[in-house]
Amino acid sequence: MNILAMHGGLVALIAITATASSPAAARGEPGTVAQPSSLLPKMAGWKISDGPTTYTPETLFEYIDGGADLFLQFDFQDLTSATYVNDGVGNDKHRKLSRGSHDSDPSATTRVEITVDIYRHKDAIRAFGVYTQERPAATTPLPIGVEGYAAQDHLEFVVGSYYVKLVQLGSKQMSLLRPFAEKLATSLPGTREPPAVLKVFPERGKLVRAEKLTARDFLGQPFLHNAVAVPYQIAGANFRLFVVEGKDSADVRSMVLRYRSLAKLSAAGADSVGTQGSTTVKDPLNGEVLLQWKGRWLWGAVDQTCAERQALVDELGRNLSGLDK
Amino acid sequence: MSKTKKLQRRDFLKLGAGGLAAGAFSAGCATVVSTQGEKTISAQAAQPPKPAAAAEPAPVKSAEPPRRILGRTGIQVPIVSMGVMNADNPNLVRAALDGGIFLLDTAHGYQDGRNEEMLGTVLKDRKRDSFVIATKVHLSTLDRKTGVLSPETRGEEIEEKLDISLKRLGLDHVDILHLHNQSLRESVLHQSVLKVLERVKRDGKARFLGLSTHKNEPEVIRAAVEAKLYDVVLTSYNFRQDHHLEVQKAVAEAAQAGLGVVAMKTQAGVYWDKEKKSPINMTAALKWALRDPNVHTAIPGFNTLDQLQTDLAVLRDPTLTNDEKRSLEAPKLVGFFCQGCGECLEPCLAKLPIPDLMRSFMYAHAYRNREAAQALLLELGLPESPCGDCGECPVRCAKGFDVRQRVRDIVRLRAVPREFLG
Repeated sequence: MNILAMHGGLVALIAITATASSPAAARGEPGTVAQPSSLLPKMAGWKISDGPTTYTPETLFEYIDGGADLFLQFDFQDLTSATYVNDGVGNDKHRKLSRGSHDSDPSATTRVEITVDIYRHKDAIRAFGVYTQERPAATTPLPIGVEGYAAQDHLEFVVGSYYVKLVQLGSKQMSLLRPFAEKLATSLPGTREPPAVLKVFPERGKLVRAEKLTARDFLGQPFLHNAVAVPYQIAGANFRLFVVEGKDSADVRSMVLRYRSLAKLSAAGADSVGTQGSTTVKDPLNGEVLLQWKGRWLWGAVDQTCAERQALVDELGRNLSGLDK
Repeated sequence: MSKTKKLQRRDFLKLGAGGLAAGAFSAGCATVVSTQGEKTISAQAAQPPKPAAAAEPAPVKSAEPPRRILGRTGIQVPIVSMGVMNADNPNLVRAALDGGIFLLDTAHGYQDGRNEEMLGTVLKDRKRDSFVIATKVHLSTLDRKTGVLSPETRGEEIEEKLDISLKRLGLDHVDILHLHNQSLRESVLHQSVLKVLERVKRDGKARFLGLSTHKNEPEVIRAAVEAKLYDVVLTSYNFRQDHHLEVQKAVAEAAQAGLGVVAMKTQAGVYWDKEKKSPINMTAALKWALRDPNVHTAIPGFNTLDQLQTDLAVLRDPTLTNDEKRSLEAPKLVGFFCQGCGECLEPCLAKLPIPDLMRSFMYAHAYRNREAAQALLLELGLPESPCGDCGECPVRCAKGFDVRQRVRDIVRLRAVPREFLG
């Protein structure tokens, strides 16, 4: 069982109560894909003015240009995009809008638009991963789906394998955006729980809602992939604890070997890497990196040191063992 | 912003020279030469690039990495800069700066702003004259499919977003502000947009103005020249573009008009194939773009130390070798590509998944990607000696492949330790 499989179980459990486009999609069955239009619920007072348009991994660049790279790293599957419009919001607080239609009469309508982008990833942990890459460092979380946040004219949240972005045009009233997001979230299948691997990180000194998932090139090293890093602050020291999930024990040993090789440790020493162990690597990019590994897990600490760091890494290792049971 | 404005030119020049004198890593300091008839300040000013020159630059193997002047900005830039877009590791940016790459390209929208925040953590510890920062803002009223700006476009949105970007970066001005993702002449020349861009520059929030384009580039580049406001164009430019000769021509016109030219997407999609098994030679692809003297710098993205080292090597010596030229020719799959007709499956006594084995053989020998080849082999669950008990092989491949020989060859890859495959 791996992180992704554990999360899949939650997907199935939670999705039973979710309204979904098809029974199979609601169950979160692997390989089952909801139709784009069915991801977009009817909203009282709103109608879809543009879309839905679907983008695939091959066409996502057409929509978000270079930003597509990040989504592709997290096994992006497809994007459903549509614009909802509400003509009944008009009052003197709202600007007049007729975006996207050159031949309409701007003076005839007063309306608000919400662009909805629903990114579907391979699974829930990857959707949560790309969300953590974009989540602001300091933000108030919203209880929408697994988690969400709002800023200015946009709101973002994650549910199951869906990462959803809403952008509002025509009103600064966030009261329009949030209820819209809450309604949309209930219509999407999938888990409302964060990835289980986050629970293995010790609580002492942990900075909340600051974890970041990295699909590849963790710490700037091409051999470190599928990592979760969580920042800590203890006694004035700032450091990160991290967990890297290998495909198997051999994969993890290969990572350790390559890391040691990069750090110019002896080749003879490298041969002794077993299925579990610990070492400290002098990473030319990141400084001293504390490493431990066992089975398919590699974990450790990076950045500043403090007296408690080793104890936290040990605790992290024990918690990881529990994850495998 | 009046203070910033006053700082904008003369003091920047002074600071730039001071930075050099202070003995900061010499390649890591942004120096400025004046243009438009003003006195040249930097002793290291390079000759302006010759417009539309087709000849390759002379090989450069000096200790000092080659620089080019970024058009009328007068900034001497290293020919390789950093596209920060996908990098989330501040230590990598620090390593790039320390290595002599000092033009950093980001955008308001990258990682929803986290990219600029990450850069801010790095830049707060650096002298302002030791780096050149470019960011981009996009207009929410831009139809990304058509490139049309809607009638409700407010140029003020640019300034509002720039103010947020400056806060994230911890700066009072950026060096280059790009209008993001342009693909139509009319949008480039939008009066409301131009008016605000002009004001932003006048107020000192951006020293120079630019635009980025990755679609319909020739039209957009020419519109940038026509606008007489933009100082820099950031354009897609790579050897796989069907219209790269058109882009080359437009780039030459821009350079001749005094615009700085920055190339992006030089890595041309990174892989030859949709399956991402056949990587493009990144060094060669980058050098290909830099052969054009009207390209003043390129902004390849890099996320790893290895990639940084590759780009630093190009920075020091951008000469495109003959071998590298050849590597930019698409892989010849003739003789390797199995179409999966399946005619081999029935005759095979061992019931081997021969089309998959032929694919693995192609990964290893045509794409030279032995990791992918081995990964596929291990997924197949093959017997220890796939052809071991067979006498004469009854399989006759429709494409004429020597199946038995190829199977025997490729299965040996299973035993090679992964760390030796890279």
